[in-house]
Amino acid sequence: MIVEMSRVEIIGLKKYLDKAISTLHRFGKMQIDDIREVPDLMIQPFSPTEKMRTEREEMDLRIANISGLIETFSKIIKGKGKPEIVAGDISSYQITENVVDITSQIQYLNNRKKTLQDELITFSKYMEMLKIITPFIPEDTKNSGNATIRALIHSSQTFTMTLLANQLKLLTNGKFEMITARVGDETNAVIGIFPLELVSQVEGFMKNERVTELILPEEYAYLSTEEALDHIEDRVRLDHEELDQIDMRLQRMAEEWLPKLQFWQLICRDRIDELETFLKSGETDYTFTIFGWIPDEDYLSLEELITSNFRENITVRKIDIPAEMRGRIPVKTKNASLVEPFEHFVKMRATPNYSDIDPSTLVSVFMPIFFGMMAGDVGYGIVMLLLAIIGGKRAKEGLLSDILKFLKFGAIWTIFFGVLFGEYFGSLGELIGIPPLWISRSASTSIFPLLIMTVSVGVGHILFGLLIGAWNAFINKSKSHFLERIGMFVGVVGLLFLVGGMTSALPGGFRLAGWVTLAVGLVLLSVSMGTSGIFLGPIEFVGLLGSILSYLRIAALGLASVFLAEVANELGGTIPSLLLGLLIAVLIHTLNIAMGILSPTIQSLRLQYVEFFQRFFQGGQSPFLPFKKRVN
Amino acid sequence: MENAIIAVAAAFSIGVTALATSMAQRAIGSAGVGALAEKPELVGSIIILVAIPETLVILGFAVAAIMLIG
Repeated sequence: MIVEMSRVEIIGLKKYLDKAISTLHRFGKMQIDDIREVPDLMIQPFSPTEKMRTEREEMDLRIANISGLIETFSKIIKGKGKPEIVAGDISSYQITENVVDITSQIQYLNNRKKTLQDELITFSKYMEMLKIITPFIPEDTKNSGNATIRALIHSSQTFTMTLLANQLKLLTNGKFEMITARVGDETNAVIGIFPLELVSQVEGFMKNERVTELILPEEYAYLSTEEALDHIEDRVRLDHEELDQIDMRLQRMAEEWLPKLQFWQLICRDRIDELETFLKSGETDYTFTIFGWIPDEDYLSLEELITSNFRENITVRKIDIPAEMRGRIPVKTKNASLVEPFEHFVKMRATPNYSDIDPSTLVSVFMPIFFGMMAGDVGYGIVMLLLAIIGGKRAKEGLLSDILKFLKFGAIWTIFFGVLFGEYFGSLGELIGIPPLWISRSASTSIFPLLIMTVSVGVGHILFGLLIGAWNAFINKSKSHFLERIGMFVGVVGLLFLVGGMTSALPGGFRLAGWVTLAVGLVLLSVSMGTSGIFLGPIEFVGLLGSILSYLRIAALGLASVFLAEVANELGGTIPSLLLGLLIAVLIHTLNIAMGILSPTIQSLRLQYVEFFQRFFQGGQSPFLPFKKRVN
Repeated sequence: MENAIIAVAAAFSIGVTALATSMAQRAIGSAGVGALAEKPELVGSIIILVAIPETLVILGFAVAAIMLIG
């Protein structure tokens, strides 16, 4: 049902504007109209002060910072969590302080983490090379009294290194010893050992000769290879421990601060909404004006609120809605809780127009029935019902929750039609002697009545839609739409008379009546379309017949489901092993149930959207978005 | 022989229309998913657009059913 809306005007002394906006924000039942978008209005829009502009910029920046922290923390705890609503006021200053503090902690921890990770990458390279070199170092040289130079060279450079070693021996009076070892197909490890006091001489020489040696960090440079390896391994272990501690600290911070940050973000957004509302209002030197929309049922409570808070300083009154503004009325729908999930399905298509009939209730009736007609199996219906009940306990809101709520109703209708068709996991019902109450869909003689049934359902559904459409057009005083829908309605009725007369389902006189009625319908339809109607009218009518035939999908999907169930039972029955046969049957039935949930849901939704809504529903008006606090 | 020809004709009726539907849905579906990534609020319109070509196969089914019943 579409809720009746009132347009209100609030006028008051300018010094009360701030308080008035906070009061309306807490009231939360009124949508504020932007005065800059109201046509033909001679009121100057509110000019924000410098302080308000600065506050707005700060708020935007604060929200951006909070969003960044929320994103970081959400990645750490792998989830979004829920805002922690804390009682009591928290000032903007406190929020900023906390955000700055958390940001600096996060930055420090992330920087430290990055440093440690870089260090680990470097150390892993050193460890890898030192582990290759260590086995080739003679035992008697492994003490800190000697210095070591280490290099990994291409095998083609080995001869050059030998020449260099000889020169170094000369330079150090024979105190230089070089070991070369093959460590790969084309790589040699070169280790030079010499007394510690000759380090600068040897290093200088190596530099001059452009030999790239493995230079360890300064603190390990003068240690023996084995000692350096031990120290680096210790350092790697300590780095890993520190990284673990940082991760744990980040995790604790995320758990502690994420809900609070989400709460502060809501507070900041609320403040931005208030600042935006200032801009939506109008002002003179001493007064302000706010226009807005409120559900008619809430108007009295708004009046009481304004009177009790501001007495004669602010007044509120209902104002007329000019005809040109009817398309701008925000639309609020209100339905019983059982219909609510279907309301969301309608809004997925478009928000209804204010002057339309809200089709949610109709969809809540037809969609599950069509679903049941397609799925139509007692066993499948019970499984679907269980799935919907179990899933519904987990999914409390959102599209999935709506689908599961719809599935509950659809499952009940599936059981109902299953009894009519005598289907219990396909043909198992027949095997245990449960006959169909109406027809068995798997029998070849049933196809014709099934097709007749689905086309009849289509005719009924579309005629109903056309009647609603004609009523809508009547209310909106749209002559062409009224004629178009009535013309289609009359044409379809005429066609029914004609078919009834020709097939002897109706007395022979209906044949002539059918021709006449069909002609009248086509004329009305053509007239509604103006001069081009003579061509477009009949084409439109053929399109309407296509829409009616579109309901044959109910039979088509139903037959596919029946025969797949038959296959499951037949195939399972042909396997000699009872267990294997049962397993195969269960697998195919599971597949059929999964398809039986998916396809009929989409197809029944499609029948509403394309075939039914097309006859009366336009939609596209703005939804009602009250100015209300996210956090009270 | 006549029954066999009818069965083949019915199979063609369903098969060819199913192929046509799938070709149309392939193009509409991929464009629709692209549009949804940009504007999720278009979901209702996309369902309609994807579902429209299905009428082809339903009409194919109707023709096949008439052939088999008749």
